[in-house]
Amino acid sequence: MIWHIVTRELLDHLTSLRFALTTLILVALMVTNAVVHLQTHPERIRKYSENVSASHTELKSRTQLYAMLQKGPGKLYKRPSSLTFIADGGDAFLPSKSVSGGFWRLYGLSYIWAMGVPRLNMDAISNHRPTAVVIDWVFIITYLLSFIPLLFTFDALSGERERGTLRLCLANSISRPALLVGKFLGSLIAVLIPFYFAVLFNLAIISTESWTQLSGTDWGRVGLIVLIASCYAGIFIAIGLIVSAMTRESRLSLVVLLLIWVTAVVFMPSTLGTLSTKWMPSVQTHHQFRKAKSTAFDQILSDFLNKRETLKERRQSAGTSQEAVAEVETSELEIQREFVNKDMETREQLSRQHLAAQSAQVLHARQITRCSPAAIVQYALESMAGTGFNRHLQFLENCHLHTRQFRDFIVEMDSADPESLHFIGIPKGMSEKPVSPAAIPMFEDKLTFQDTLNSAIMDILLLILLLGIFLSGAFLVFLRSEI
Amino acid sequence: MIFLTLIRQELLTHLMSARFFAAVIITLLLVVTNTFVLIGAHEERLADYSQKEAVNRETVAATPAYSVLKLKVQRPPNPLSLFSAGLETRFGSDIDIAFDSVPALSDPIADVRPEEEQWAFGSVPSLSNPGVPLGINNPYLYLFSQIDLAFIFQVVLSLLSLLFAYDAIAGDWETGTLRLVLSHPVGRGSVLLAKYLAAMGCLLLPVLMSLLLALIQCSFARSLQFGTDDFLRIGGIVLTTIVYLSVFYLIGLLISATTRRAATSLMLCMFLWVILVLVYPNWSRFALNPVGDMRAEKLSANQQIAQIREEADRERDRFLASSPLKGDPPLFFDTFTGTDFFKGGGWYLGDFPRVNIEIELKNTADPLVTHLRRYYEFAATLQIQNAEKVYLVGEQLVAQISRRQARWDERLMKLSPASLYTFATAAWAGTDLDSMTDYIRAAQTYRRTLIDAFHERDAFASLQWFSTNQGTVDWSILPDFRFERADISINAQRALPELLLLVFINLVLFMATFLVFIKIEV
Repeated sequence: MIWHIVTRELLDHLTSLRFALTTLILVALMVTNAVVHLQTHPERIRKYSENVSASHTELKSRTQLYAMLQKGPGKLYKRPSSLTFIADGGDAFLPSKSVSGGFWRLYGLSYIWAMGVPRLNMDAISNHRPTAVVIDWVFIITYLLSFIPLLFTFDALSGERERGTLRLCLANSISRPALLVGKFLGSLIAVLIPFYFAVLFNLAIISTESWTQLSGTDWGRVGLIVLIASCYAGIFIAIGLIVSAMTRESRLSLVVLLLIWVTAVVFMPSTLGTLSTKWMPSVQTHHQFRKAKSTAFDQILSDFLNKRETLKERRQSAGTSQEAVAEVETSELEIQREFVNKDMETREQLSRQHLAAQSAQVLHARQITRCSPAAIVQYALESMAGTGFNRHLQFLENCHLHTRQFRDFIVEMDSADPESLHFIGIPKGMSEKPVSPAAIPMFEDKLTFQDTLNSAIMDILLLILLLGIFLSGAFLVFLRSEI
Repeated sequence: MIFLTLIRQELLTHLMSARFFAAVIITLLLVVTNTFVLIGAHEERLADYSQKEAVNRETVAATPAYSVLKLKVQRPPNPLSLFSAGLETRFGSDIDIAFDSVPALSDPIADVRPEEEQWAFGSVPSLSNPGVPLGINNPYLYLFSQIDLAFIFQVVLSLLSLLFAYDAIAGDWETGTLRLVLSHPVGRGSVLLAKYLAAMGCLLLPVLMSLLLALIQCSFARSLQFGTDDFLRIGGIVLTTIVYLSVFYLIGLLISATTRRAATSLMLCMFLWVILVLVYPNWSRFALNPVGDMRAEKLSANQQIAQIREEADRERDRFLASSPLKGDPPLFFDTFTGTDFFKGGGWYLGDFPRVNIEIELKNTADPLVTHLRRYYEFAATLQIQNAEKVYLVGEQLVAQISRRQARWDERLMKLSPASLYTFATAAWAGTDLDSMTDYIRAAQTYRRTLIDAFHERDAFASLQWFSTNQGTVDWSILPDFRFERADISINAQRALPELLLLVFINLVLFMATFLVFIKIEV
């Protein structure tokens, strides 16, 4: 019986004007998206591999351990995701490479590399061109796959009630739940057909070029993304059915639905985000951050100078005793090492704290915007596509891990050399044996299917939960409504 | 008489309807929350502005020599960005005022310059373009876009006007009311006009109410002060809003009259709305790039700038050939090795004849000091001239690329009335590209007056130009920088093209609707 209703609903929709218009607009947008991706993506990949190979050559040109420690692992680049056409995620604005920070040369010593705060590409937003949102899948899904379901369902129940066909229908041996399920599935399929059609178009165009072809795991991610999108469309169909069951007049139901849509989809994701930051403790400004760094450095420097003074006194009192002089020299190397390493650690720690405070604010704001299903689906898609803020955090974590690995490598190489004094951080105290370029650990940014899924799983579950809530809401409302 | 009754009856149906009530409530809710957010953002910008100004003043007061002056000017935040943010929250606010660079709208060569050169301090003469916008402690928050009041009107009220219009004729036609109305001695034109006037009256109501609420909220925030001119500008924004909403109402009316079926008309209206308001403005920016990236032009400009630089180097060498100073400028270590003449310092990186020197003179009686002074004066003048030459090359490129790009973006976007509305309100509020250009001009003029003031004081030839211990520098010669927003008449002039276009679209749509309507068989 249910299938009978589903097919009837579906046929109704398939021959309607709205179906034709939906297909047209979705296909047009998806084709644009694919064509622009074809034009821009190869350039992005080319730039990335150029940068990475330049960085690798530079790294391999260093053979001295101290030089490697001082210059660090070089610039670490974020690998552009092959699914950027699905979610742009502000990738033009988020940093694409790590940077070091803090340069000084004092008393024959010099800074050693520490990871700094990566630079945001402010040019991407702060320019003179008018603002516009990128037309990626996220745009198409969040706006259209919520708007169109409402247009398909606003008169599903209220319209039939107005015409009296609802009473007629229920006079037959059709239960109310069956009717509702039939309506839900019929509308959902009617919405998803043009969407899947447009998606196929898009993927077909993207697969024509070898630069943009997707790998096996990419296809898996695309599959999941399409499922998430279908779930999102389902939520709005359920909302449409709820409002349609509650109102007597289909005109009123449409207005109520459109207002819900405007608030939840257009306004809530941005307004709530900015609003929530008003009640959060403010983060360090750039100015304050720099001040904090310089005060910390001054502190470390004055500690070092004090120790140096006492050492000078010890040297004078040591007189000519060979043993005592040697001991003093060792302690001098010791305090130099402590100075250089402490500076590096403090810089890295301060940068990490600064970044963590900024990220915490964004994550908190995102938590609050999750009131809107549009924001949830946006975050889920970004995570799945490997772009956006979650990806940015993963990239930073990768960089951090690599830095640690790189330092461990240097320590290991140094301890393997019996001639070295094993004072890491100062030129005199480290091994001078050349390192073979093949042994140097190279940074390769990667993103596994698991990483993407892990960061998206919360949003996916939230979407499924919302679908459940709204569907049961539709049942409750429809079962209790008068015909 | 019947005309008035018609208007009254239409007005009452709209005003009493649940859809109108719901829409007004939502609009007001959105306006109140967003105004709250926007006032907060404005206050943050103001605080940042005064803090940066204070830092600037401190830096200047602590500068020991004229030549190492590091001066920045700021654009004060515009309170009308509440109504239309335009470029205000995105376009940089601070500009370096320096002898060796001229302020410009953007630095179009930046992306073809090799990365090492971008950070090589002072080695490449460039345009000084605005830095970061005001009030961003945490730049990651840019991931959340901000919404101004014009955007709320643009989205919610245009939707409402279509909802008023879609069944205005088709609904009456279906239910037969149209036949009933036309059986009275009343012209079809009057019926149409009555419907139009009543709907516009109803749409005006939420606009005025939200405006009132927003202004009440602003009056509680002490930071937002509106002058008389500002109220006139707000009036301009309201006027534009009405004309814009009327476009959407007439679009709905035309569709309604043509289709004569409420259901069809509704679907067409909704899809058209999505395309015009949501999709097209973003689509045109995303898909079309008529200017291209102009790489060849940028590279050739870079070449020209390199030539200017080489020529300056040659001129400097010619000057030094007849001077007893030996060694590398600007500190001439070879001339002064062994002499206890000065303690060096300051910025002397890069091979370009820099003007920023900061040294401690020990012996001023030495005749070489005169030569040094002459050289620095020459170098300063040379670099100021150079900066202007570089600016001429750069400005041409800015016009050719940056400005053209922005103009093309605007032109393409303006095919949608929604974008016409955005640009018109930005022009009224003084947050459009033209106003930002005004600011750049003001900064350029300021640089000029600064140099003139230095000339007047003969600062370039003085010892204080480069020495930190020969007399104190007098910073009272610095002229004040004050950026006044353009006059209301200029705002109106800038908004006029878009406004007239909107009015024109209105007229065309009304004529078309009228023609269709008089031919309807009832």
